[in-house]
Amino acid sequence: MSPDLAVVVAAVALPFVAAALTPLVFRLFGETTGFVGTVVSLASFGLLATQYGTEGSVSLEWISSLNIALQFYVDGWALLFAMLATGIGALVFTYSPAYMHGQAGLPRYYAALLAFMGSIVGVALAADLVAVFLFWELTSLCSFVLIGYYTADDSSQYAARMAMFITVGGGLFLLVGLLLLSIVAGDVLGPGAAFDLATMLENPETMSNALRERGLFLPVLGLLAIGAGTKSAQVPVHFWLPNAMAAPTPVSAFLHSATMVKVGVYFIGRVRPMLVGEEWLFLFATLGLTTMTVCAIMAVAATDIKELLAYSTASHLGLMVAGFGFTSVYGAETGVFHLLNHALFKAALFLVAGIIAHEAGTREIRELGGLRHDLPVTAAITGVVALSMAGIPPFNGFYSKELLFEAAVEASHHHEIGLLGWLYPAVAVFGSIFTVLYSLKFLSLFFGERPEALGHVHRPNVSLLVPPAVLALLAAAVSVDPQRAVDLIVQSGLEATAVDPHAMHVGLPTSYSTPVGMSAVTIGAGVLAYPAYGRIHDGIRAGLAAVPPIRANWWYDRIVEGLTDEGRLFAEWVHNGHLRTYATWTLAATCALALTGFVAAGAIVPATIGLEVTIPIALVLLVAVVGAVAVARADSHIAGILTLSILGFMIAIFYILASAPDLALTQLVVETLVLVIFLLVVEEIPERYEIEVGRVARDAVLSVAVGVTVFVTILVTTDARPDGPTEIARAYAERAVPGGGGTNIVNVTLVDFRGFDTLGELAVIALASISILTLIVMRGRGDASPAGDDGSPADSSGDGPTAADASTDGGPSGGEDA
Amino acid sequence: MRTTARAIVPIVLVVAISLFFEGHNLPGGGFIGGVLTVTAFGIVYMAFGLDFLERGVLGREVDPGKEPSRDRVVLAYRRLFAYGFAIAVLSGLVPLVFDRPFLTQTFVMLEGVPIYDHLEVASAMAFDFGVYCVVVGGLLTILSVVGAE
Repeated sequence: MSPDLAVVVAAVALPFVAAALTPLVFRLFGETTGFVGTVVSLASFGLLATQYGTEGSVSLEWISSLNIALQFYVDGWALLFAMLATGIGALVFTYSPAYMHGQAGLPRYYAALLAFMGSIVGVALAADLVAVFLFWELTSLCSFVLIGYYTADDSSQYAARMAMFITVGGGLFLLVGLLLLSIVAGDVLGPGAAFDLATMLENPETMSNALRERGLFLPVLGLLAIGAGTKSAQVPVHFWLPNAMAAPTPVSAFLHSATMVKVGVYFIGRVRPMLVGEEWLFLFATLGLTTMTVCAIMAVAATDIKELLAYSTASHLGLMVAGFGFTSVYGAETGVFHLLNHALFKAALFLVAGIIAHEAGTREIRELGGLRHDLPVTAAITGVVALSMAGIPPFNGFYSKELLFEAAVEASHHHEIGLLGWLYPAVAVFGSIFTVLYSLKFLSLFFGERPEALGHVHRPNVSLLVPPAVLALLAAAVSVDPQRAVDLIVQSGLEATAVDPHAMHVGLPTSYSTPVGMSAVTIGAGVLAYPAYGRIHDGIRAGLAAVPPIRANWWYDRIVEGLTDEGRLFAEWVHNGHLRTYATWTLAATCALALTGFVAAGAIVPATIGLEVTIPIALVLLVAVVGAVAVARADSHIAGILTLSILGFMIAIFYILASAPDLALTQLVVETLVLVIFLLVVEEIPERYEIEVGRVARDAVLSVAVGVTVFVTILVTTDARPDGPTEIARAYAERAVPGGGGTNIVNVTLVDFRGFDTLGELAVIALASISILTLIVMRGRGDASPAGDDGSPADSSGDGPTAADASTDGGPSGGEDA
Repeated sequence: MRTTARAIVPIVLVVAISLFFEGHNLPGGGFIGGVLTVTAFGIVYMAFGLDFLERGVLGREVDPGKEPSRDRVVLAYRRLFAYGFAIAVLSGLVPLVFDRPFLTQTFVMLEGVPIYDHLEVASAMAFDFGVYCVVVGGLLTILSVVGAE
């Protein structure tokens, strides 16, 4: 059964439409806008649910000339992710009004949240590489807006910038990877499939072989891994996720645990059938297990409940990445099943953390404890989800962690990986021990002694309690009957991500096997080590404080600060406010590029210059040369300007002799105007000024370089001219009268055939006027700039004939060389 | 200088306008016509000073101390190039209504017009007029603002 285009498009578009209407809705409903968001999410969820069981792609025409379509691919994996996003979205929208009560800027908050949900559904369903990238970056953008929600708060701004910098930066790597993929796909599967991810995934073998043949397999794998790794907060860029906790807690629950950070994992799962192999195993299993362990250790060192959950999220993302990294079918099972389990328990935990922060007024772990008396319902919810996070049987987190252990053990059976075959399971167990530790710590907020200092804790509002309760109930349902969840949705997700899918079975183990032993070791070690939690916590913190470079965040700060300082220095050096500096660099760079280009292209060949010069032309040119020499030797500005215009008028006459009346007319008129302008400003230029010898030398060298470049350019371009009029020239000449109704070909070309170019040039003139106006109006403000005071016109008049030529030629070319 | 200016400025302006109109069939066009018009204004500025247009031609009072960029004449120039740009873009958009590509141009021959016998009306003229306005407005803005410094 294939999906219905209208329904799929509606499911993606609905949140965006709602986001656009949010300001309006907010006027009507005020703070209860959140419940409107719930309705929108549920509608989207319902639309997606009707597509349950379908598979296939539908597309909406978009940029057909580039074979880019708004194509959506629906299968179990896409539906699982999209329905998770909309379902948790509905809960978060229900939770928000009570949590965000009394905050400013709520329309922005809800609009960004809705747009984010649309983008996530878009990423999940998109099957066109361009659409994937577009939605991918949209999620980063919405995340930026939401992390920076408290705009007055510096740490919030810092975190938002960091998240943007890292996820969008990673997105650029992804873009390059996707483009490489599309080039190869265009070659192998035909140009129609260049951006079509669905077709690529239908032919994984062909794609994989083609990539290997072209030597692009590793680059593509690496680029996609960087994109996915930055998005899913993998080591070494995991640090943006804990910082992102500056966002309001519902945002953390939605974006930074359940959905956005899983986009990377989702995408890894998506391309897995195409790229899986030995390199895949090394890359993702190592990356995932490292992240899992490092972040679990960092979570133990956390002092704030949201920080603990954030590191824990990064750690679990590592678990999913590692799962997909293992090439056996257990690997895919781990990834898919844990994606579901983690979304259920972690979103609930964040919502619980929000309740604690909201009702107890603090998020410091030290200050909290014994909350079960004040928040009994919350305590029950936490009991289920925290034990699930720890992976303690029979809670749902146990099943997927068991699968990871199985996949890790299996890895050495499928590949010759030597020592790694032992290391992978060992690291998985080691990391999981810390997971048990911090899960128990979180649970201990509700049990044990209630600190004296903790003030009165309010009972939470019902709308705060319902969303985590729903999630906890779902987690409990999966715990009780995991096989039902597998049959319902996980199996279909598995079929999209595994190479050799088979019917998946999960359940409590009935007999001993290695993974069961690993689980027992994990839980036993975790529980035994728990009494020493304080000492482990202090030890890790002391280690981090003693050696700052061990923290990735330290590197980030160093790099960003360094770049900012360097950038400022560089800007002061390049952008120093002297016109002559700009002119020097611009002209020198232009010359260098042009000449290098000619040399590289081998365009400079000793050409035979045809000297077919008639006597009038020779005379005119002679006068022009004499004029040019006179400009250079002129001892006053007036004399210089007047001799300069002799040069210009001679060029105009040359145009007439060469039968180009339009050019001649333009040259004459512009020459006159330039003369008038020069005469206007000449009074302002100081009569004489001192110039250092070094600067004179620099100006002379630059003048010669510009002159040589212009000379060579003209030689090279005219040398390449074919004999007789070209096809284009003939076509213009033939079509001018019948097509444009004018006998002046130049004008018809300008306003008719090449009207678009002319329009662009009009924009240039308008922009130039506006910028001059702005420059002059703004000159009095800000720093007193020295520009123009110490002889910036020196360059224009001091460069002699070359610069003057350039400036007069620059005038007509602005309008005429269409 | 002033006497010469009185004599040549009208001639230059007339030539500029004729260049603009005959541009479709003979050398000329919006750009050249525009630049020539600016030249005429430039001569006026040189001969009579910057405030002449406002005081002498339009008969308004000029506050001596105000910023040149706030001048009413400069505002008019700025408006002129904005309108010119709008005209050019709009003339390009009109063909879209008739389901033709952006900036498509056509022309109509009007027969039997008195004096001229036949008159050609090209739609490109509207676009060219936009060019003319942008050039005149833009360059005059620059000229008057820079000149006032």
